[in-house]
Amino acid sequence: MEGELVYLFAGFAVFWAGLLGYLVWLQARLRALQAEVQRLEERLAEEVTPLEAPVGRAGSSARVAPEGGA
Amino acid sequence: MSWLVGQASRLYGVRWVTLPPLVGLGVFALIAGALVVAPRESVEGEVQRVFYIHFPSALTAYGALFVVFLASIALLWTKDMRWDAIARAAAGVGVLFTAFTLATGAIWGRPIWGVYWTWDARLTSTLILLLLYGGYLLARSLADPTDEQAARYGAVFAIFAFADIPVINMSVRWWRTLHPQPMVVGSDGPAMPIDMVAVLVIGLIGVGLLATWLIVLRAEAELLGVRTQALRARLDRRIGA
Amino acid sequence: MTATWAVLAKDLRLLWRQRTGWVSAGAFAAMTVITFSFAFDLATADVRPLLPGVLWVTFLFAGVIASSHSFSEEQEQGTFDALLLAPAPRTALYAGKALANLVGLLSIELFVLLLGSVLFNVPLLVPRLILVTFVGTVGYVSVATLLSTLGAVRSRAVLLPVLTLPLLVPLLIAAVRASGEALSGNPDGAPWLLLLGVFSFWSAVGAALLFPLVVEQ
Repeated sequence: MEGELVYLFAGFAVFWAGLLGYLVWLQARLRALQAEVQRLEERLAEEVTPLEAPVGRAGSSARVAPEGGA
Repeated sequence: MSWLVGQASRLYGVRWVTLPPLVGLGVFALIAGALVVAPRESVEGEVQRVFYIHFPSALTAYGALFVVFLASIALLWTKDMRWDAIARAAAGVGVLFTAFTLATGAIWGRPIWGVYWTWDARLTSTLILLLLYGGYLLARSLADPTDEQAARYGAVFAIFAFADIPVINMSVRWWRTLHPQPMVVGSDGPAMPIDMVAVLVIGLIGVGLLATWLIVLRAEAELLGVRTQALRARLDRRIGA
Repeated sequence: MTATWAVLAKDLRLLWRQRTGWVSAGAFAAMTVITFSFAFDLATADVRPLLPGVLWVTFLFAGVIASSHSFSEEQEQGTFDALLLAPAPRTALYAGKALANLVGLLSIELFVLLLGSVLFNVPLLVPRLILVTFVGTVGYVSVATLLSTLGAVRSRAVLLPVLTLPLLVPLLIAAVRASGEALSGNPDGAPWLLLLGVFSFWSAVGAALLFPLVVEQ
């Protein structure tokens, strides 16, 4: 009886833990990609209308970085 | 036809509102059904309850691989790279559920057969399935997601692999057999009590919804990946110019 | 039809020009057989039950190396892209490439069978085993030629066997069993040679139909 329940528990645990792990991984990947897309789009917009030379570009990417991480 | 497409796209538009609660409901029904409602199996005991996860996982894996097959045909037909994202997403989820099928089967096999693994026909063909689509995912992830030639290669491989599945099953069955015979759909009705079948059907719906949700999420991620690549290429060109 | 023959003639010339590649694949096959005989001590006991497996593993590994090499060389030199511009039908390109690979791989296999007959003191060049080898190689080459069109992807050399071998599991099982029948003379209970033939036929047809879709630009 005891032994039986261990296998039942293991079977369910593998399935749900695997799903949870996959979801967490997928969510992290979605977040990272969304942040990346946003960062690239902002940089692209800056490149189209370059208000100031390289200094501004470096400053703006430093400004954007923490937002992407949040 | 256009009505169907319209309905489908409207359904797709509300996916974030409808899918999560449905998945939650299905998963809850699956757990309650498998652990509480279903009767204790007299020969195998409590371990048999693993079957309520094992069987839906196996069918869902086949379903996801069928989606890969259809999306691959659609990609070759329409040359729309969004189909490639769907194919990759479904292949990822299919591999995940094939792995679940193998893992839960092994855990069930230990107390019932006395071994985790044996070179039985179905076990072997499921393992080959895992290798086939694992290889597909590996090949697609090594190539650039915007590379159309690589996407077509992947699609052709997926079509070939799906057509290969029945042959693999047949050759391996001739090779050896130990797996229990199908209990759910026999020639004269199901060979198990009706409440067990009911729990299985609920499990099938629950796991199917779960897999659909995962495929949608993963396809979203793949599409974002394609967009990132495209944006990066545009940025490079602009800086270079 | 003339296009197919022209392509085949081109591929056979290429086969001859790339002979160093094929000779290294043959040397690799010989080395595999010899390694197996050290690992299993194939010289002493009755080796007949083990031989089909040894032979087919050798064939498969040598074939993966050879077909991958033959295509990647042509791609590097840009001749394949030039060929795609020619007015020949894509299926003819596939047929020429597959037939040339078939000739190359069959030569390696005959060499391995000859080597095996000498090393293991078992007559391997018997008609039935040669038939099984031929039918299996047709199916094998048609799949391997299709999949060897994988472009310049990272770690291509490792990826190709990872993709090819699981697809070929039915072929491997059927070929090993049919070869076992041919060597021992007792039927196995399942129509393995028939399965092998059907698999090879459908692989060839399927690959010829799908090849134009892969190389499209």
